[in-house]
Amino acid sequence: MLEAQSNTDHSAKFDATDLDRRLSFGNIGPEDRACIDEIKDDVLERLDEHVEAFFSHLARHEEAQGLLRRSDVMEDARKLEREHIIAMVSGRYGHSYFEQRFRLGEIYNRAQVDIALFMGAFHNQMGSIGWRIMARYPKDSDKAFRHLFAFKKVAFFDLGILVDAMMTAREQTIVRQQEAIRELSTPALQVRDRLLILPIIGLLDSFRAKQLTDGLLQAIRSHRAKVVVMDLTGVATVDSKVANHLIQTVAAARLMGAIVIVTGLSAEVAQSLVTLGVDLRGLNTIGDLQGGIEEAERLLGPPPSRGERHLSVVG
Amino acid sequence: MPVPVLKQGDVLIASIQSALTDRDLLQLKDELAEKVGQFRSSGVIIDVTALDVMDSFATRTLRGLAAATKLRGAETVIVGIQPDVAMALVELGLTLEGVETALDLEEGLETLRAAVDAHRHGG
Repeated sequence: MLEAQSNTDHSAKFDATDLDRRLSFGNIGPEDRACIDEIKDDVLERLDEHVEAFFSHLARHEEAQGLLRRSDVMEDARKLEREHIIAMVSGRYGHSYFEQRFRLGEIYNRAQVDIALFMGAFHNQMGSIGWRIMARYPKDSDKAFRHLFAFKKVAFFDLGILVDAMMTAREQTIVRQQEAIRELSTPALQVRDRLLILPIIGLLDSFRAKQLTDGLLQAIRSHRAKVVVMDLTGVATVDSKVANHLIQTVAAARLMGAIVIVTGLSAEVAQSLVTLGVDLRGLNTIGDLQGGIEEAERLLGPPPSRGERHLSVVG
Repeated sequence: MPVPVLKQGDVLIASIQSALTDRDLLQLKDELAEKVGQFRSSGVIIDVTALDVMDSFATRTLRGLAAATKLRGAETVIVGIQPDVAMALVELGLTLEGVETALDLEEGLETLRAAVDAHRHGG
């Protein structure tokens, strides 16, 4: 949960120290700012052309069609690209600059633009601007390169922010998906007094195995379970890490006074566990779910009526 | 804070109410081993519901306690281990082997009764 929160709050990630740090990473000094200031008007003169260089590159690729077809998003993106180039040559790389770049990165990420494709388009745009800079100093290649290089520094500094923005957005997606999986994860079903069934379906990784353990231990407490049948029929593979986790779960459930019966280990899973040399002595396994429930019934005995149970405790 | 030990029929119930120092634990161990003989108890229940932390010393002492009362003729059941505590213990490799566990006090009494019955029928 904590991770999810820190990810959504990207402004916290870009405080003043981070700004300074990034600027020093980019090695952008006062002389670079002076160079940028000198070429500013030339760049702005053909602003639309530079913006177009970016989107025309995207348009040449199938992967970006999703973005280009959405006119509302495109309008936003064009506007932000324009603002961005203006901001790039303004020489002021403050908090609002960051925010602006971050928003743009999020738009591209939502439109699922490939990072490599984005880089290509970005570079195409830088090329368009670069030609203008070179054309300004036709006789003096040294000067031309110095100005171009100053501009390039800003461009790379910029790319750093954008890639971070896209990565952050992707991390958020992963966190959201994990939450979704957690919600979909294994329910513990009570089939009779003191008996829980835990059907596990799909891929078991360490993360899900941990979820499962937490959920099961809570369920044992809330349902006052004595026997738990853990059915692995729907699990295709189990690695040694997950197997150890299952063993730990069984041991933890025992500490809470519950017996865990594992059922439905497929032939492949059984073989691979033996091959891995996982010590399964602590596991109480039975072939299928039906057998598991029968065993549970045997352990629990016939369901007592309230009165009987009360008497037996007192006596 | 020492742990109060209650006598209920032929069962002794020790209900731990707060985190215990090592000395309290050892004292509890001695007291129970003593009282099991004194009251001719057939079972001991240690309720740890209130504990949200159990360390290796505590688990080792409880294991020792269970073994000692067993030698004096009484089964020990530890009841009320919390989910988080259970997981933490297992991750530390402290699985309380050889000690009976149960969900709560009621369940613990049930377990003891079953164990005593089995013992009588067996003997």
